[in-house]
Amino acid sequence: MKIRRAAAGASIAALLPFAGVAFAQSATTGDSNADLKREIEDQKQRLAVLERKLEINDEAAKAAAASAPRITANASRFQIGSTDGANFIRLRGTLFADARVYGGDSAPETADTFLLRSVRPTFEGTFGGIYDFRFTPDFGSGRSTIVDAYAVARFKPGFAVTVGKFKPSVGLERLASEPDLRFMERGLPTFLVPNRDLGVQLSGEIAGGAFAYQVGYFNGVTDGQSSDNLTTPDVESDTGGDYAARVFFQPFINSANFNLRGLGFGVGSTWQDLPGSAANPYLPSYRSQGQINTFSYRANTATGVTPNNATFADGERLRLAPQLYYYRGSFGFLGEYTQVKQDVSRTVGAFTRSDTLTHSAWQGQFSWFITGEEEAYRGYTPQTTFQPGKPGNGAWELVARIQELDVDDAAFAGGATSFANPLTAVSKITDYGVGVNWYPWNTVKFSLNYDLSSFEGGAATGDRADERALFGRFAINY
Amino acid sequence: MSEFNMNWKRRLLLAMTTAVFVGGTASTANAAEVTLLNVSYDPTRELYVDFNKSFAEYWKKKTGDTVKINQSHGGSGRQARSVIDGLSADVVTLALAADIDAIAAQGKLLPVNWEERLPDHSAPYTSTIVLLVRKGNPKAIKDWGDLAKPGVSVITPNPKTSGGARWNYLAAWAWAKKQPGGSDVTARAFVTKLFKNVPVLDTGARGSTTTFTQRGIGDVAISWENEAWLALKELGPDKYEIVIPSISILAEPSVAVVDKVVLRRGTKKVAEEYLKYLYTPEGQEIAARNYYRPRNPEVAAKHAELFPKLELVTIKDFGGWAKAQKEHFGDGGVFDQIYAQ
Repeated sequence: MKIRRAAAGASIAALLPFAGVAFAQSATTGDSNADLKREIEDQKQRLAVLERKLEINDEAAKAAAASAPRITANASRFQIGSTDGANFIRLRGTLFADARVYGGDSAPETADTFLLRSVRPTFEGTFGGIYDFRFTPDFGSGRSTIVDAYAVARFKPGFAVTVGKFKPSVGLERLASEPDLRFMERGLPTFLVPNRDLGVQLSGEIAGGAFAYQVGYFNGVTDGQSSDNLTTPDVESDTGGDYAARVFFQPFINSANFNLRGLGFGVGSTWQDLPGSAANPYLPSYRSQGQINTFSYRANTATGVTPNNATFADGERLRLAPQLYYYRGSFGFLGEYTQVKQDVSRTVGAFTRSDTLTHSAWQGQFSWFITGEEEAYRGYTPQTTFQPGKPGNGAWELVARIQELDVDDAAFAGGATSFANPLTAVSKITDYGVGVNWYPWNTVKFSLNYDLSSFEGGAATGDRADERALFGRFAINY
Repeated sequence: MSEFNMNWKRRLLLAMTTAVFVGGTASTANAAEVTLLNVSYDPTRELYVDFNKSFAEYWKKKTGDTVKINQSHGGSGRQARSVIDGLSADVVTLALAADIDAIAAQGKLLPVNWEERLPDHSAPYTSTIVLLVRKGNPKAIKDWGDLAKPGVSVITPNPKTSGGARWNYLAAWAWAKKQPGGSDVTARAFVTKLFKNVPVLDTGARGSTTTFTQRGIGDVAISWENEAWLALKELGPDKYEIVIPSISILAEPSVAVVDKVVLRRGTKKVAEEYLKYLYTPEGQEIAARNYYRPRNPEVAAKHAELFPKLELVTIKDFGGWAKAQKEHFGDGGVFDQIYAQ
């Protein structure tokens, strides 16, 4: 106890000298506190200023980002556009490098070839969210042509106007874009409908796409042809114009019924009054699925004088193309029938033969993604991609097709005065095709197609030999 | 047959062409509801909320049509830039004529003589620049000279992006020049010192008000008169005081129809009427209620207590906006030079 008291006393004694100092300082404590307060206030202001500057910088960055152009460059798209998406320009393209091999005697050996089937850069875009344009030249097959060049004004979903060079809305497979085709070459019905033409078209989709219509007026082209195939490319070559119309229904497109959503059907048609002549016949020729010429009307045989005995279009041409597709899960079916009625005439000496010929073609094609991807009329998305050393094999698809093209027998009637020569022009093509597509990447596709075509007529004796065509393709669709 | 076909061809082309234009214009022809976009500057939000409501009622009564006016606000210079870059403004109501001049000159969206199309060179109301201080005026701010003193923190927006900030700058310049021995040289020195006391530059006047009132930064905010009154009204007179400087500037916010936009959108008539309505007694009353100085003498007299008289210079004292803009606020101009120091 004594020890504790002694220690406490010593402590107090030790503190006494400092007590005097503390008392002396008490007079300046008020000033120190004020200084301290001021310093704290200054620091608070500095902190507030820094925070505000950060806020302002953040706002400025957000404002700059909001008005900065958006650039998209990924595996499937290269695009520059405004932030709101209303204005953009997109670069796309296709490159199809093909190999063609024929078996049997139906094609000359020179037909075996490597071929740049399609080399098409595409520039397309939209302005104001309404006005679209597309420009696609093609440098494939050793030619330089403009495939598409058109502008679209989408005033309303149910009302758009397209002007320029584009596909008249008639054939179902013709209207599919090249990357979306399941076979390397479109089927025989496509030979009977126009390819690309110059004109104007009104179109629209109603009820969320359940009903679509297109009504157009075009310069007019022969079956399967483009206006760039005309003697003077891409200009009107006759006094008649081609009236085109199509309606297409997808009644269940917005339905929850998975079984019926992929059903679409419709009909397309064109009509033209086509005044041809022996000098300007305005008549088509048809090819096999192996792209070998199989049917032509008789051409002029006179030499050194005004052509006088070719078969020529001489009146109305009416095309009718009912069509249907059905897609469910990994399976797809596309079917179409096309008929063309054509008034033709041919003058041989003093004799003129006239008739209305009816040619027709149909096809049914089946597709199946064995790797489970969804089949659709437009587009595909591989579930996996193939990259060496990594998991995934891309998408694999099997396709099969049966089709026929039937030329009116009346085309061959009349012996030497007939519209077509039965010894060189076939009257019927029946084709069976199978193929496999491999999509290792969503912009890359390898295809292998085999077609067996049998013919009626078209040979000096009997029928032309069967055509066996093996086509391969390496395609880039960007 | 050929002639018949030609006739039909022409008729069809005519019919399709007609259909294109009928279809294309249908959306405007049958529209009973019209929309306008008023691209304005920062502090006019409340004014145009009031004004738009009144005009919509007036227009409905007059024409039976419904008009909906959308508002866009920001720093005046930045707003002008947006219009030049494509923002579809039917009308612009900006902080100063120079910004609309820029739209006319750079955007070619309206004629260069746009000021002559409405009375009072298209400035239907005016304002001026005052000083907003914290309650009790702890730094004893009485006039412009106090803003350049050491230890005084001044809030004003960036003159490069804000029209109000340009008025602020010019008002300070005018005061300095009118001091004994004042000249452009002394004015420049004063404004340089003043901006050394500015800790943060907002892009617009509303941002500056936020900095001063909500973030608690600064001792004094150089402010539009209407913005200062609004701060007092919204945040309470127990927190802030307005100091009227000895000299200020007559700020003339300008308005104009953007011709190219209204012609494209088919809104010319309603846009013109919208701006003319600003000059009516109703429009002037709404301006005064929102602390803008009305042009109409009767309305001005009615609200005289809000708008104390003081000596005001005008933009003409600086040679007009074209000269002032180039000299002071253009790239490499006086402001760029003094702020870089």
